[in-house]
Amino acid sequence: MRSHQGKCGYLRLDGYSSNGLEQVSDSGIDKTFLKDQFPELIDLSDSHHASRSQQGNLLTLVEIPQFQAPQHAGLTGMDPRVKNQLEALQLHPDRHLHFGRDPELPNKDTLEFKKLESFSLSLNASVWDPPSLNTFWFELVNGAYGDVYRAKALMNLPDGRSMFFNWIVSQESSQFLPLEEISAPNGRPTSLSELVVQGKHLDGLRIQSTIDLCLLNDAVLEMHQMPLRDRHKEAIPST
Amino acid sequence: MNHAIISCLHANLPATEAVLNDIDRQGIDTITCLGDLVGYGPQPNEVVELIRKRDIATCQGCWDEDIIDGLNACECSYPSQLAERRGHLAHQWTDDQLTDENKSFLASLPTSLRRDRLLFVHGSPNSQHEYLLPDMDAFAALERVETAGADILFCGHTHQPYVRELRDGSIRVRLQNADHECDQGEELTLPMRKIVNAGSVGEPRHGSTNATYVIHNDATDEVEIKEVPYDVGRTCQAIVEAGLPKVFAWRLSHGFEFAEQAEDASHVCER
Repeated sequence: MRSHQGKCGYLRLDGYSSNGLEQVSDSGIDKTFLKDQFPELIDLSDSHHASRSQQGNLLTLVEIPQFQAPQHAGLTGMDPRVKNQLEALQLHPDRHLHFGRDPELPNKDTLEFKKLESFSLSLNASVWDPPSLNTFWFELVNGAYGDVYRAKALMNLPDGRSMFFNWIVSQESSQFLPLEEISAPNGRPTSLSELVVQGKHLDGLRIQSTIDLCLLNDAVLEMHQMPLRDRHKEAIPST
Repeated sequence: MNHAIISCLHANLPATEAVLNDIDRQGIDTITCLGDLVGYGPQPNEVVELIRKRDIATCQGCWDEDIIDGLNACECSYPSQLAERRGHLAHQWTDDQLTDENKSFLASLPTSLRRDRLLFVHGSPNSQHEYLLPDMDAFAALERVETAGADILFCGHTHQPYVRELRDGSIRVRLQNADHECDQGEELTLPMRKIVNAGSVGEPRHGSTNATYVIHNDATDEVEIKEVPYDVGRTCQAIVEAGLPKVFAWRLSHGFEFAEQAEDASHVCER
């Protein structure tokens, strides 16, 4: 998307639950992150923008959760129901990539499993103690709360930054990417904050209770933010 | 004669039993314990009672002190809010479990023990809370040993076993009076000093789950760091059954400390 010369679009479609595999609802993490990185990104799920899918030279990233490898490689392996959805939007895919099959994506993003569990938690308006977040993420992706195959999150820090966390079991380490947009250090942020975890034997209660120990209360948040505001004031010369 | 030094048992009974059995098998009957009998682990009374029953000379650790005097460590002792809250939870749980008799025993422990030229402390001669890390500044390390008047300083607290030899040390003292007319200087050349850290029996932090302790020969001054495997699963089971956070069991079974160590571990709170 970074190297594409024209406009970029994004569309997230719901998957189709089958064989008892739990479906994952859209957390909005990907869209929020992409919108931050590409402010001109066209959200094709918005009906006002859907007609723009016909614009020439529009590169559209379509995401759809699918928990089983397609039977055929390439476009012929696409679920016909997805094809119909795309055609309704007059989108004509030219490539179909699948985790675990196509070399453009990380190999083995998920291990073999028969039942997928997912855990998601809205963390809107929550702010983390940064060293605690570091410990929590380390414990989470290393199995302290169950076998985690996939985890991603948008997390707020007290200085107004928001970070995208991304973990795939086959990768050596997590991805930590700061968002471009930084909130003013004035209380709790309003941007999306969410955690999504997939795996086996996930202990949601313990994940939640550890998170509770990591989040800053109002008084501590203010202690972090006050010096930042003072510094900001000093940087602006009085007239 | 060989003698053994153990430290940082942290209420881990299976690890303590395994280490004491290992020492017994070698026919060593002089054992010194450098404290932290309790804290985080699930069997504080059993560990204290075992040390009392064996009549092992013991000095007080920071956890033993905090259980007696109340939690007095400030937030700067913890690397994160999560570590602090887990530490407080473990403190409260331990405080609730320990019998008055065992608390009295912890309260009676000295902050240091001395045998001739050997000094035994939990953290450093200055404080039970001070970390003598293996890579700490050489002058500071030498100063700690020299000021305490010891040839060999045995400590724990870091949970990382090591032997550090301070060779060819010298301390230069220079006095200058107010009118700058008369400078007096003297350089003291010091014999070799040694810091020996026993690591941890109950909460190892050396990349493995094995308990560690050291054996010192007081005739040859040879030091051997010993690693002892023990039934970690038994301790983890006891953690869960005691109602302590399951993550303590997970961390212990992976060779991590119950709560992570502060980045600036040499920091000592002056409060």
